[in-house]
Amino acid sequence: MRTTNRRRRKENAENVLFTLPALLLVIIMMYVPFIMSGYYSLTEWNGISKTPVFIGLANFHKLFSNSSIFAGTILFTIRYTLLFMIGSNVIALILAVALTKKFSAANVFRGLFFIPYIMSLTIVGFIWKFIFTKGFEKLFGLTGMGFLNYSWLGDPHLAFYSIVLVGIWQALGFYIVLYIAGLQAIPQDVLEAAVVDGAGPVQKFFRVTLPLLGPSITTCIFMSLTNGLKVFDIILALTKGGPGTSTYSTTMQIYQEAFTNNNYGLGSAEAILYFIFVLVTTQLVLRLMKKLEVNL
Amino acid sequence: MSLKTKRKIVLIVMLVMLSLFTLIYIYPVFLMFMNSFKPFGEVVSDPIALPKKPTTENFIYVANKIHYLQLFMNNVLITAIGILGIVFFSSLAAYILDRRKNDYTKLIYGIIITPMLIPFQTIMITLLKAMNIIHLDQSKVGLGIQYWGFGIPMATFIFFNFMKTIPKEIDESAEIDGASTWKTYCAIIFPLIKPVCFTVIVLDVMWIWNDFLLPLLMVNSSTKTKTLVLAAYTFVGQMNTKWQYAMASMTLTVLPSILIFILLQKYIVEGVVAGAVKG
Repeated sequence: MRTTNRRRRKENAENVLFTLPALLLVIIMMYVPFIMSGYYSLTEWNGISKTPVFIGLANFHKLFSNSSIFAGTILFTIRYTLLFMIGSNVIALILAVALTKKFSAANVFRGLFFIPYIMSLTIVGFIWKFIFTKGFEKLFGLTGMGFLNYSWLGDPHLAFYSIVLVGIWQALGFYIVLYIAGLQAIPQDVLEAAVVDGAGPVQKFFRVTLPLLGPSITTCIFMSLTNGLKVFDIILALTKGGPGTSTYSTTMQIYQEAFTNNNYGLGSAEAILYFIFVLVTTQLVLRLMKKLEVNL
Repeated sequence: MSLKTKRKIVLIVMLVMLSLFTLIYIYPVFLMFMNSFKPFGEVVSDPIALPKKPTTENFIYVANKIHYLQLFMNNVLITAIGILGIVFFSSLAAYILDRRKNDYTKLIYGIIITPMLIPFQTIMITLLKAMNIIHLDQSKVGLGIQYWGFGIPMATFIFFNFMKTIPKEIDESAEIDGASTWKTYCAIIFPLIKPVCFTVIVLDVMWIWNDFLLPLLMVNSSTKTKTLVLAAYTFVGQMNTKWQYAMASMTLTVLPSILIFILLQKYIVEGVVAGAVKG
């Protein structure tokens, strides 16, 4: 009896001791700043003065008023994420199907598509900035194709699509390898049985391959959702949010509010709203995906 | 025309289209490499062609200007500290959290993995203040330690799920033989979780090595603490019109990643796929 008691006490001590470093680190780096954000969102604070002034919900009132561009940044983030999700998943799926065909260069091609994904997003942004300005200018001189002469980063409408294009370009390799892994996990005999039953290639893809790819699609949709909502580095390198504030994502807005305008309190309020927005969006999509997967 | 030859033609057409697309797709990377070898003027006058007289002058200028070697070592140090802590603390916690299931460990597990839902931008403003208070800002080691807190939730989640697949009998028999919990972890568990360690390492190296926002907030004030990406960001900003130097600095920044990728392609892709499926 006594030995089991002592043993249990020792085990309990170990449970605490071995998990304590992880627990403390997470609390210090994530929970503490999170709670601080919650508090500072209720204050006016420029980061320099020692004491933030408590102002209640005034920051949130300001953000919901018409003069604030915050709602616009949420809208931009939604538009970006939607287009990024659709673009990267559709293109990656098509390429994954092509790259699982047997040909000698398949491995090299897969590697090439993955290279942008291992590069820093900031560098990727700069490369494309060069292409959109200098590269397109030269190509226009050579070919005379009109679209090359557009102001791809200077026009608010086009700048949005430029950012989406670069975002997809950088991340595509990631979704390709996930879809390739999913395609390779589909048992060959199921596909062969479909052919024996007289299914054409198109029918085979939509009726057999796609439903069996369900888990991969769920993973990719979810990953592209969370990555899309976080967009920041590319915008900073490509347009810095411009022209004007037309390409401000919410992340960009939080950054500028705090570190350029020195409105730490208002920035914290934006950060809290962004958190709620991301949480609600991801949970909704997750639930939707689960429902769809069951139906398949 | 028989069905077989028709299929073959379709396949060839598809391959040609795929090859073309791949070439266009990778061209921006190639363009960056190429332009870093061009002298001033040629980059702007002819940005898309091969260099007429390739020169390595840009690289020498940039490497000296940004203190490339120092930056590279900074990146190595920060990434190494980050990875060591994440792997060690997460695997240790996951081992206990899976093997000793009770109300306490369940609660701890919940607290550790829940922050996966908190986007970094939500906490970045106050993080700066919090890190300033405990003096982890403006320091390479401090930055490495900060990555522990941000990497642990995901890593613990991955290790925890993998621990479930290791039969309990293995470590139970070791404990019956008199090995302490710590010894069992070192001698039995850690060797067994190596495959998933590799997944965590691949994911976190790619993340920390290329991370931008956290270093921008924490270590941007001095060349002694800057990372490669940060230095390239500042440098390209300054070299607004001198694209040949900008290109060379960008090439130098991504070169280590690309070389490592070429060497370890198979393992990196495997790690990324495993991480995404588990995460």
